[in-house]
Amino acid sequence: MAPLAVRGLIAVAAVATTVAAQASLPVVPAAERPEARASTLRFGRLATLGFDALVADYRWLQAVQVVGHERADLVAAAPALATLVEAVVELDPWVDHPYRFASVLLTHSRDQVVRANRVLERGIAYHPDDWRNRFYLSFNHFFYLNQAEDAARELERAVELPGSPRYLGRLLARLRSEGSGGLEAARTYLEELLRQNEDPWKQAEYEKALDEIETEQRARFLDQAREVFVKRNGRDIQSVEELTAGPSPVLRELPPDIHGWGWVIDEKTQQIVSAYYGRRYRVNLHPIDLERREQFSKQATGSEEGESR
Amino acid sequence: MSGIERILAIAGNTVREAIRHRVLYTLVFFALALIGTGVLLASLSYVERERILQDVGFAAIRVFAVAIAIFVGIHLVHREVDRRTIFTILSKPIARSEFLLGKYFGLLVTLWLQIAVMGAGFVVISMLAGAPLEVAHAAALGLVAAEVAVVVSVALLFSAFTTPMLASLFTAGLWLIGHLSRDLRALGAQSESDVVRRATEAVYRVLPDLSAFDLTVHAARGLEIAASDVVMPLAYAFGYATLVLFAATWIFERRDFR
Repeated sequence: MAPLAVRGLIAVAAVATTVAAQASLPVVPAAERPEARASTLRFGRLATLGFDALVADYRWLQAVQVVGHERADLVAAAPALATLVEAVVELDPWVDHPYRFASVLLTHSRDQVVRANRVLERGIAYHPDDWRNRFYLSFNHFFYLNQAEDAARELERAVELPGSPRYLGRLLARLRSEGSGGLEAARTYLEELLRQNEDPWKQAEYEKALDEIETEQRARFLDQAREVFVKRNGRDIQSVEELTAGPSPVLRELPPDIHGWGWVIDEKTQQIVSAYYGRRYRVNLHPIDLERREQFSKQATGSEEGESR
Repeated sequence: MSGIERILAIAGNTVREAIRHRVLYTLVFFALALIGTGVLLASLSYVERERILQDVGFAAIRVFAVAIAIFVGIHLVHREVDRRTIFTILSKPIARSEFLLGKYFGLLVTLWLQIAVMGAGFVVISMLAGAPLEVAHAAALGLVAAEVAVVVSVALLFSAFTTPMLASLFTAGLWLIGHLSRDLRALGAQSESDVVRRATEAVYRVLPDLSAFDLTVHAARGLEIAASDVVMPLAYAFGYATLVLFAATWIFERRDFR
């Protein structure tokens, strides 16, 4: 067999190869990369014995079976679902659908939404080019947590991502109008989008949104006139035209509706609206959503008080 | 007859001997059955079925390849000693190191054949299920083969000086730890104690980093694989297995068979 010198050379070469190759291997486990901010089961992976993906699949199938059960009580099952989905994304952060699965199902309390948001943030870290996770995160911020600024920030990033639908830009403008910048922020944003975008379909969408903002500004002007009318006459207007009627009208003439349909008072909300749109420019919230927002807001106040004690 | 020819002759005999092993066929059968079962498991999900199917398939290949490596590998030397045939072989002009290397390469070729069979089953099932098959899948299977090369060297090291039962326990244990060594180091790195950090780093350097050979997740999810993700683990497997074989031959050359 090889003499001692040859063996020595082979051994040295083997050590050098091993050390050099090992030095180039990833320093941290793949699923623990620093960009993954939300890591709920940090070292729970130790129990999978290297079969992270398989265990993640098993946890995912368990979650699907919980939801798919014909007598599934999703409210009662939500905490268990949260744990299952957190395990799935921790073990296999490259999964796709489970991130949004969590977002759709974990909506029964403020804590659940916060957990779902952490899952979505992990999804964003591992799928930075997927607009959907940012869209769902934005949705949660706005509809459940009443955080319009955060919602707008996430949606703004989603709009720039490939494959994002055309309506996102308009939705973002609406969200912006709900934030501190109001309508002007929304208008500036849309004008910028219009300037940057060359897609005629998207441009048409942004132009429509600018029309809506202009209409909303005129409607707000009419709201002010309506307040003056109430002060002067001690009663509310019966129709928008009353603002220009009488010996001392509040307005000489009504501002024109962009689409030429005129202004009416909406029967449900008693607000002045363009007859063309039939509603005011804002993100539509169902009364149930509003009620839930309030409930979650109380939960947040309660937990803050508990912490301060 | 040169040393390499002698090693090849023993390797050829080892392949012939190994493929007569009934355990091997049983394990391959179960592996193929499990790969097929992936279709049923995947059907329980309403999304990402192809991914689940391939996760199950890859896991089956990895588990059974290593199981075969351990169960067949630990008996290779022991059987020769038990039947006293080792005396006949070593009475010929064959060095003990050549005998051990011949056994190693013979078993490795056998295992690579098994991986090829299981890989073919995986490809057929994936094609039938319409799951994507890329170069990354071949790379992932190639790294499973590299992992097996390391595991067989470890099995041979333990079987060079201990009983088959203990050798199988040690090898299986080292395989499990080898998949966690990177996590252990990450855990140790968070310690405030410098001693713990250095100790976990040292343990990581000595233990095999078997998670380096796992590209199955990348393949099943269509993630990008750099050339270094394949080349460096291959170089690492080569270097590590060579060092373990050095230790195995050193021990084997000093073993008393009486």
